[in-house]
Amino acid sequence: MSRAAQAVRRALVAPIRWYQRFVSPMRPATCKYYPSCSSYAVTAVERHGILKGLVLAAWRLLRCNPWSKGGVDDVPPLGEWRSPTLHEGQHTDHHRLSGTAV
Amino acid sequence: MFDTILGPIEWAVAWIMYACHWVLTHVGFSEGPSFAWVLSIVGLVIVIRIILIPLFFRQIRASRGMQMMQPELQAIQKKYKGKSDPASREALSRETMALYRKHGTNPFASCLPILLQSPIFFALFRVLNHLPDIADGKRGAIGPINASVAHDIETSQIFGAQLSDVFKSAEGTNAKVAAAILIVAMCATTFFTQRQLTMKNMPKAALQGPMAQTQKLMLWGYPVVFAISGINFPIGVLVYWTTTNLWSMGQQFYTIKRMPAPGSEAERIYKEKKAARDRAKGIIPEEPLIIEAPAASVSSPSARTGTRVR
Repeated sequence: MSRAAQAVRRALVAPIRWYQRFVSPMRPATCKYYPSCSSYAVTAVERHGILKGLVLAAWRLLRCNPWSKGGVDDVPPLGEWRSPTLHEGQHTDHHRLSGTAV
Repeated sequence: MFDTILGPIEWAVAWIMYACHWVLTHVGFSEGPSFAWVLSIVGLVIVIRIILIPLFFRQIRASRGMQMMQPELQAIQKKYKGKSDPASREALSRETMALYRKHGTNPFASCLPILLQSPIFFALFRVLNHLPDIADGKRGAIGPINASVAHDIETSQIFGAQLSDVFKSAEGTNAKVAAAILIVAMCATTFFTQRQLTMKNMPKAALQGPMAQTQKLMLWGYPVVFAISGINFPIGVLVYWTTTNLWSMGQQFYTIKRMPAPGSEAERIYKEKKAARDRAKGIIPEEPLIIEAPAASVSSPSARTGTRVR
């Protein structure tokens, strides 16, 4: 990873860390997911880089809306877009057969 | 870039304020610069928060659905009781979230609406900040707010201060005193809302460890930060902020009473009251029975009748 890319990553992660440290503790628990949107964003950027990380984080924020069900939604492993855990515990045969439920 | 994103919101903010003012002048407030413009800012807060009320009640309904899964929830809490290491705490949150998902209900508000609200504040801040420029013709109109309307708004007064006055640069004692009163009101409402939340509606686990230190620090830190930045805010922004805080306080008060956070002091009080009510009605509390029920047998008929008792 180039130095510039590393600097951009840090610049993206720093405000989220600041939010987690100083803003989040003063607000009621809000996020419908585990891990929370903020920690998801940090992991996503650190694991997948700036572009894909940001897309994943933005998509997660859009999904964290009043109509979503929430749940456990881990950052996908490298090279993948789908969360390994999101459909866990839903017990639909479809997901079991397609192997997305671990 | 700011203008492209905030432009449409500024336009909407301007129209809502203008509409509120129109209504107020039709119920007896005078045209031109008057207290009606101050109330229009209050009206803006009320309109925005009323639009958001369906989301709030959605959340309340979702947390009612939680009663169904109390036994399973308690089983998870029991499993991690007294374990405060990060791994156990993480596993607790993870399993709790998975449980919510399984039951298709989730008591949390979700992140997006909160994120979407902040541009409204920035838009209002910019509208109020631009009033002098719009009045002087240095800037174009925002929606219905043209030069003459902008002049009316910025010269409208509260406690003898103009809506566009800023504590730091205000001339005259009246404006300074009014700005100071509003800054104190803004800080005080922030402080009490935060204190109510952290003292009453956070689970004990959240009140221990490194987070608690931050909370204690920020409980005092935020009002100080607001006081320092407040001296640069126009009176109009202070009015908006204080009104928002008051609304949040009321809503939070209601939330804490009706749907306290699991494991919080507020929940303990809520349960005590509910038990007292049930006793008065002659309902035998079945809760101990449910706690002992193993998680696997939740779907058994006896457990289900147990949860149906309110």
